[in-house]
Amino acid sequence: MGIQKDRVRLNVGGRIFETTATTLAIAGRNSFFGAMFDDDWNLQPGTATDHLIDRNPDCFAVLLDLLRTGELYIPSNIPEKLLYREALFYGLLDHVRSAKWGPFDGNRLRLSRSMTGRAPGDGTAIRAGPDGGCCVAHGSMVHVYDWMLDEHPAINLDYQRVNDAGWIDSDSIVISACERLGRGDGGMGLFSASTGELRYKFNVTHDDQVKSYTAGALSFSSDDKIFSSCKGRSNEYGIGVWDQTTGKQIDFFYEPPGWSLGDADKLQWLHGTNCLLVATLFPRKDNCYISLLDFREKKMVWSWSDIGAPVYDERLLDERRVRDAIAMEDTSSICVVNEYEDLGFMDLRSTGGSVRWSSRSRLMKGKMPDEPCYPKLALHEGQLFSSMNDSISVFCGPDWVLTSRLRRSYGGSICDFSIGGDRLFALHSEENVFDIWETPPPPIM
Amino acid sequence: MSAPKKRNFQIEAFKHRVVVDPKYAEKTWKILEHAIHEIYNHNASGLSFEELYRNAYNMVLHKYGEKLYAGLVMTMTSHLKEIAKSIEAAQGALFLEELNRKWTEHNKALQMIRDILMYMDRTFIPSTHKTPVHELGLNLWRDNIIHYSKIQTRLQDTLLELVQQERTGEVINRGLMRNIIKMLMDLCGSVYQENFEKPFLEVSADFYRGESQQFIECCDCGDYLKKAEKRLNEEIERVSQYMDIKSEGKITNVVEKELIESHMHRLVHMDNSGLVNMLVDDKYDDLGRMYSLFRRVPDGLSLIRDVMTSHIREIGKQLVTDPEKLKDPVDFVQRLLDEKDKHDKIISLAFNNDKTFQNALNSSFEYFINLNPRSPEFISLFVDDKLRKGLKGVSEEDVELVLDKVMMLFRYLQEKDVFEKYYKQHLAKRLLSGKTVSDDAERSLIVKLKTECGYQFTSKLEGMFTDMKTSQDTMQGFYAAMGADVADGPTLTVQVLTTGSWPTQSSSTCNLPPEILGVCEKFRTYYLGTHTGRRLSWQTNMGTADLKAMFGKGQKHELNVSTYQMCILMLFNNADGLSYREIEQATEIPAADLKRCLQSLACVRGKNVLRKEPMSKEIAEDDAFFFNDNFQSKFYKVKIGTVVAQKESEPEKQETRQRVEEDRKPQIEAAIVRIMKARRVLDHNNIVAEVTKQLQSRFLPNPVVIKKRIESLIEREFLERDKVDRKLYRYLA
Repeated sequence: MGIQKDRVRLNVGGRIFETTATTLAIAGRNSFFGAMFDDDWNLQPGTATDHLIDRNPDCFAVLLDLLRTGELYIPSNIPEKLLYREALFYGLLDHVRSAKWGPFDGNRLRLSRSMTGRAPGDGTAIRAGPDGGCCVAHGSMVHVYDWMLDEHPAINLDYQRVNDAGWIDSDSIVISACERLGRGDGGMGLFSASTGELRYKFNVTHDDQVKSYTAGALSFSSDDKIFSSCKGRSNEYGIGVWDQTTGKQIDFFYEPPGWSLGDADKLQWLHGTNCLLVATLFPRKDNCYISLLDFREKKMVWSWSDIGAPVYDERLLDERRVRDAIAMEDTSSICVVNEYEDLGFMDLRSTGGSVRWSSRSRLMKGKMPDEPCYPKLALHEGQLFSSMNDSISVFCGPDWVLTSRLRRSYGGSICDFSIGGDRLFALHSEENVFDIWETPPPPIM
Repeated sequence: MSAPKKRNFQIEAFKHRVVVDPKYAEKTWKILEHAIHEIYNHNASGLSFEELYRNAYNMVLHKYGEKLYAGLVMTMTSHLKEIAKSIEAAQGALFLEELNRKWTEHNKALQMIRDILMYMDRTFIPSTHKTPVHELGLNLWRDNIIHYSKIQTRLQDTLLELVQQERTGEVINRGLMRNIIKMLMDLCGSVYQENFEKPFLEVSADFYRGESQQFIECCDCGDYLKKAEKRLNEEIERVSQYMDIKSEGKITNVVEKELIESHMHRLVHMDNSGLVNMLVDDKYDDLGRMYSLFRRVPDGLSLIRDVMTSHIREIGKQLVTDPEKLKDPVDFVQRLLDEKDKHDKIISLAFNNDKTFQNALNSSFEYFINLNPRSPEFISLFVDDKLRKGLKGVSEEDVELVLDKVMMLFRYLQEKDVFEKYYKQHLAKRLLSGKTVSDDAERSLIVKLKTECGYQFTSKLEGMFTDMKTSQDTMQGFYAAMGADVADGPTLTVQVLTTGSWPTQSSSTCNLPPEILGVCEKFRTYYLGTHTGRRLSWQTNMGTADLKAMFGKGQKHELNVSTYQMCILMLFNNADGLSYREIEQATEIPAADLKRCLQSLACVRGKNVLRKEPMSKEIAEDDAFFFNDNFQSKFYKVKIGTVVAQKESEPEKQETRQRVEEDRKPQIEAAIVRIMKARRVLDHNNIVAEVTKQLQSRFLPNPVVIKKRIESLIEREFLERDKVDRKLYRYLA
């Protein structure tokens, strides 16, 4: 009898489905089924009558299977978008999202889709959002896509060049832009990802005066701070810090003489050591400056620069030139890359050391494309990613062995890539195309 | 197509906008509005969830979200206005009941409304930044019910009235209270704070202000504290029963402020029942209560601590300065220990072993113990007493306990070096006279002193023990080597004392009787034969002897006497009577000692083996002494003690003091040199401060003495004054 009571007959758009209340309960209380079978509505399962639901039966079959198995299988005759719409009706969109692709693993990535954007010119940056969406910055525009890869109203900065973008949460994007002379515009703003509206503008104050400034690279900390490299009109060169909740500027690390912070290409917040990595790289400056800032003590706790590094051979210069840097807290080291995708390592525990290069550039020489893109680095859960030309290499293990290479021939070199929401997004430079790489759901057995 | 023909062919404008029938929206909303009415009227069983959900979905999908939302607000508001009227109409005690019932119903209705509007909640509301349905329902409840003028004050007054009733001992419906207050907490904004907590705290403050006045007029301190504790616990319990847990701190603050903080000085100083009386009478419960209550208010504990400290200092001062109590050093120290035990017990039982209280107790003891310059001597005497006899038949743990307590007193002493001086003297006496009861206890104390003050402090004391042990071995070796040579003579036991380790007085050797002298010479030869390069000198003032004597009626006795006394008595082997001067000449014992010896030989009843002429208590230089043939004693062994003041006499005290001061000089100089060597240049005040700091574990150096030592060092060219700044000293390497 217990089984009988659990039984539910549904008539969805004319097709009869039999299932159990237990299966439907997996949808959760905040879903159509959760509400429908709540005691308040007196719709006890097991009653003889069918419950009519005036919806598409094909999609319902897919979603019912999702509730039954936790896996998503979309037959080719159902457009994804239709399924998403039905899922939204039932309140099952989150279930679909989490079943669509698996937890991120750099060595199991599959190309899921390529999106062609409409914007002209080279992309500046691509940034993955926390729930699988992304935003792409081109010139003064930022295009925003949700995880279903529907494009939302673009963020338009009115001819100010966008320098960097980043997601605070799944509906908030911070954008840093160049100052516009004479207009007081530029700097850094918070935008809605769904509507593209400007919600808040961050100010830099110097001697109690609000200054106009150019915001460069961005980074966010887990304790709700925003960091940005800033260039003001006079003295306001350095790293600004804002509070995410109040939006107020809470700190400013002024650039010391003979060093570069305000022009930084890359900021990275290090959670474990409570420090910020700041890297200014060639060609923005003639030399490369990498430093770690401790804001609590207002101190530069670690620094490295290639100023005055001996040059034995002019031809070797490019080989020794750092193009990107990333700190790896687990091993207390900083990984750098040159334009031939040679990785180099530095020890964070001692200052003034030199780079240990692990050279692979022999392989690359002479094979450079006409319009090369400089390598970029990313780190995700112990896997190191580096982009070079039209491919992304994945390195693992204590010795950073090359374990995978992601490559797609169309679109030219990769100018930027980003990992987040269990996806990897790669932006190509020649055609305005970006690729979405996903880890497939785990195997059945 | 080429030939145009006239046709009445009208091309209609292409309608490319698909507009949903405006009536559709109105119709759909009517269905939903009806459903909301039915839900509020408990008539939902006829509703189809699927239909309602789909209708709400369609409205949002076809851009009528705004209409749906506005309709929802309007419908819900009108229902809540109805509800407000029915709550308002409820009389007396039914008021809260009705409010609670309607609240429960509203929540249920709200849940169902949210269910059908779920799609709007998920899509329309976030994109338009509107308030979600559930929150909206709570806000409307707040604005239309709780903030409705005819309900707001009535609700507040009713709740406060109920709390007041409970305070006066009546039983109220706590479940209902809990539900209503929970409702206030569930509402957003500061409804709970504004409509309940704030007025509640104000009323409570008034109530307790009045009650505390009443209590303080008619209760003694102990009773007052009991009542305050009870009230405090009641409030904590009340919060846990039906208020926000965050209110606990606030209401206890109110009670603490009104019941304790405002009256704490009066309570502590209350006549006949205040803190001092509790301390004197060991009222652990009352003291514990006072501690736990006062610790809740600022400065509460420091008040208790200050009063306790001044009380202990007062009684301590009386104790150490009362001349009556100074007569018996052992009793004096025992009283100190008793006082310490008493307060230790209070701190552990009533004051939660509070470190700050322990520190206050320690500093009080430190203060008054050092008020009496004889404290170091007395403590050493106490130890002496315990180690001589006091520890017989006491278990090892108890011995440790006593020693630990002594160490505690020792820690309070500022002049630890004075204690060391006395301790050395007393230990020497104990060791040489073989009076120590327990070797383990002696050593244990040394170990304790060592851990307290370091190796240097005890190295000489340990040397004394080593000497004792070596002497034993030496004597065995001596008798083994001499064999028959010495078998006939008197048995000699020599203790070889290392110079420096022992508190030797100026060596004043007396003339030993020839019988003894022979053996002594043999020993000297033996000893120097085995240890080359040493010098032996006899400390006749420290030895003892056992003599066999036969008296007039043939009775035999064994006399236990000091070496000096032995020398005197041996003279009577050859003469029955001798004058004082003859004795003095023959023995060359220093006059003071000689008089003391003679006094104990001739003037103590039961021990008077000599007879003095004339008979009197004091020894005069023209007295004569005779062998007392009539000596009688019940015992075979007779111990003839020397009349020695156990406590030091005034001149002896001066002398000890003198020696202590002498000993301090090199220590102060060493400290100055150490400091200056490290610092090279330093001004006077800093040197004094550092020297004091370095030496305070042993004694408190007098700044005047330090200044003298500095001057002496300058004379000897260890230091010089700076040529420019005369206050600065320089170290001369």
